[in-house]
Amino acid sequence: MTDFTLNGEAVTSDADPATPLLWVIRERFGLTGTKYGCGVGACGACTVHLNGQPVPSCALPLDAAADGEITTIEGLAPDGNHPVQQAWIEVDVPQCGYCQSGQIMATAAMIREVPDPTDADIDAYLSGNLCRCGVYNRIRAAAKRAAEIARS
Amino acid sequence: MTVTPSRRTFLAGAAAALTIPLARPAVSQTLPPQAPELERWPDAFLQIDTDGRVTCVLPTCEMGQGTHTGQAMILAEELGADWQSIQIVMPQQPSDPYRLPFGQMRSVGSYGIRFFHDPMRRSAAQMRMMLTQAAATQLGVPKYDLVARDGMIMHADTNRAIPFADLVPAARLLPVPAEPKLRPEAERTLTGTNVPRLDTPAKTRGEAVYAIDVSLPDMAYAAPRMAPVFSAEVEAMDEASVIDMPGVLAVVPVPRGAVVVADSWWQARQAADALDITFTATEHDALDEATLNARIAEGLDRAGVPMTLQRGDPLGTLDAAETVIEADYQVPMLAHACMEPITCTAQATEGRTELWAGTQGHDWKRMMLERELGIPSDELFINTTYLGGGFGRKTWHHDAAQAILASRALGGRPVKVIWSREDDTRFGMYRQTMQARFRGSVDAEGRITAMTVRVAGPQMGAAIVQENNMDPFSLLGLVDQPYAVPNYAVDHAVVDIPVPLSAWRAIATSFTGYWMESFIDELAEAAGMDPLAFRLLNLPSDSRARPVLERAAEMADWNDPAPDSVHRGISVVGSYGSMVAQVAEVTMAGDRVTVPRVFAAIDCGRAIHPGQVETQIQGSVIDALGPTLRAKITLQDGAAVQSNYTDYPLIRIDEAPEVAVAIVETGAPLGGVGEPGVPPLAGAVCNAVFAATGRRIRSLPLSDHGLA
Repeated sequence: MTDFTLNGEAVTSDADPATPLLWVIRERFGLTGTKYGCGVGACGACTVHLNGQPVPSCALPLDAAADGEITTIEGLAPDGNHPVQQAWIEVDVPQCGYCQSGQIMATAAMIREVPDPTDADIDAYLSGNLCRCGVYNRIRAAAKRAAEIARS
Repeated sequence: MTVTPSRRTFLAGAAAALTIPLARPAVSQTLPPQAPELERWPDAFLQIDTDGRVTCVLPTCEMGQGTHTGQAMILAEELGADWQSIQIVMPQQPSDPYRLPFGQMRSVGSYGIRFFHDPMRRSAAQMRMMLTQAAATQLGVPKYDLVARDGMIMHADTNRAIPFADLVPAARLLPVPAEPKLRPEAERTLTGTNVPRLDTPAKTRGEAVYAIDVSLPDMAYAAPRMAPVFSAEVEAMDEASVIDMPGVLAVVPVPRGAVVVADSWWQARQAADALDITFTATEHDALDEATLNARIAEGLDRAGVPMTLQRGDPLGTLDAAETVIEADYQVPMLAHACMEPITCTAQATEGRTELWAGTQGHDWKRMMLERELGIPSDELFINTTYLGGGFGRKTWHHDAAQAILASRALGGRPVKVIWSREDDTRFGMYRQTMQARFRGSVDAEGRITAMTVRVAGPQMGAAIVQENNMDPFSLLGLVDQPYAVPNYAVDHAVVDIPVPLSAWRAIATSFTGYWMESFIDELAEAAGMDPLAFRLLNLPSDSRARPVLERAAEMADWNDPAPDSVHRGISVVGSYGSMVAQVAEVTMAGDRVTVPRVFAAIDCGRAIHPGQVETQIQGSVIDALGPTLRAKITLQDGAAVQSNYTDYPLIRIDEAPEVAVAIVETGAPLGGVGEPGVPPLAGAVCNAVFAATGRRIRSLPLSDHGLA
């Protein structure tokens, strides 16, 4: 049994502790906003926050989340109106959208640490998040806009 | 016009188990109310519910290309619907109104807007006219005094309005106008604007449902184990090796391997990896990159190849030319690498097989599943989800077949098959590897006098090959290149390769554009001319390539000297009814090529949604840059070497160029947008690399040349 907090709620999973957290979140708890992309932490589609830090949940065994606080895209903000989500809508970022939960979670973590990110900051914080549609021009604009909304 | 029993059934049953409700508006996984009754009511693309809700029934999937929003804009504008209340569904079964010119319902060929624009406008106009006629009768006013707007028919003079819903019962009894009167341009106030995409809110909240997210009651999960050599079959398999592993429910034989079914996907994956299975030896077990390339190169010298296109006297002209430029080009295989891997959920019961799939190939799935699994077309129902990318990969049926066989083995339980990233990368349906030999000559004024192109490689479109060995999947971009070449020939020496292939974004033009635009630069160099001036000299005066070339050059300040350390390359390719020119800026960090900026100009006719045109071109440039710099699929011991994004590297944000896009409207007919941004990029970059290094890059990726 592994206990952790998922989007503010105490939960327990009886899955094998070696199971990647991603699959527990998706299949046991039905939160499918967090995506499977690569399984090796190379694409960022599965990014969640563990105790506030962005982590690839596909490469994180369940027991590494024990007693931790996990936040997924569904729990990022009430009503889905986090500054990053507001900015993403304003800039109309997604194409296929599959990577966007991960992009948004990574950006949310970035602007908490770097309130006014430069291009270099964005490169450093978001280069772990692959976008196969290549909407990086809009992600860059939206990340800056998100920081602006968060500062205001 | 009302919600049908089948839709209600779905909502009450399966959808209740969907853990994330679909946001409104969003793609519904439900079906349109009934098969289109074109005779009675022009409802193939539009349904008006009794509560007034307008539902667009769309024939193409949403895989990122924005077509759902674009098509809905066309329909809503012509009808006069309230944009805020628009719903979208896709039909569960293909039928004629949803089929492309070649007779299939598929989401390919950048057809979504350009092909359906006119029929959708006609249908919406018919519906609007019938609603208007019904309102005229009800209000006792001439129909010419009425306008359809915001979901109502309005009579301005008396300040009266009737919602569409109230008019439907009367309107649907009226004759369908044979010659619907389309709205005048002045009333087209929705298309041409940047309305927010319908799917963006759901996609920013993790609420959009992709195929991998589908959840059904009592659903089991499956992972495949497939033969690494493409033509191999299962030799022996020991089900007992995994059947007692945690959660494992069954091991189901499928073509080329097996799927392991379990209570969770991770358990299925672990067991699939552990499965004791051997595959048959094949004659291709020793195939590797070098032997495959050598086999294809043989085609470059082959005699007796049928001529696909010939005009003038290319061989005689080249023989008489003082200088002949000759160059061999090559491209490798590519994976689609959709971020959502191959996945499908199926429930197979007696007389009914239902799929939940992110598919580009509704008719293709139907045809292949009928052929391979004997499923009658009328017993197959496809619930189309969002696609986490498609790029030509998701027309296929193999994952559906695996899920169906697994569901049958479990007595009709729904089964979701998910391919791991490694499965997705290794098990084919690649963009073809191709080679070409170009020969050409120019005169003293810089005019191209002759050119021949010999293509060697597989004939991916063998099933659709036209007369004179013309395969659109191999030769488009060559047979229709835009330059005035008086003596010109193209042929194709077919070399089969034992690898399953699939259309990859822009298909033939993804490589022919690179070849042709690189070779044009070689001819410009031979003529001692500026690459832009050489192109303009050799393009006909009425060519659609000219305005976009001139615009892209202007954006890039082509005629001014580049800043220190910046090198430029230019390229123009027409594809899918559109014309795109690009200027790439390259800087060198030692031997490493970086591409900080790209300038693109597109003529796609009228831009239905300029913002989506812009983002498609930006994305296409970045998509095409991955295989230009580093990505390729190679073989070793008959199997694919690459397995994940780690060894199939695509562009990250830290390497993504800033892409400036201009839309050039020339009055041309509507063209495609999803693909035409891809073909010019590799040529523009490689031409810039030549400007930077003096090296002609005649094969991709640049990493093979120590440049990335």
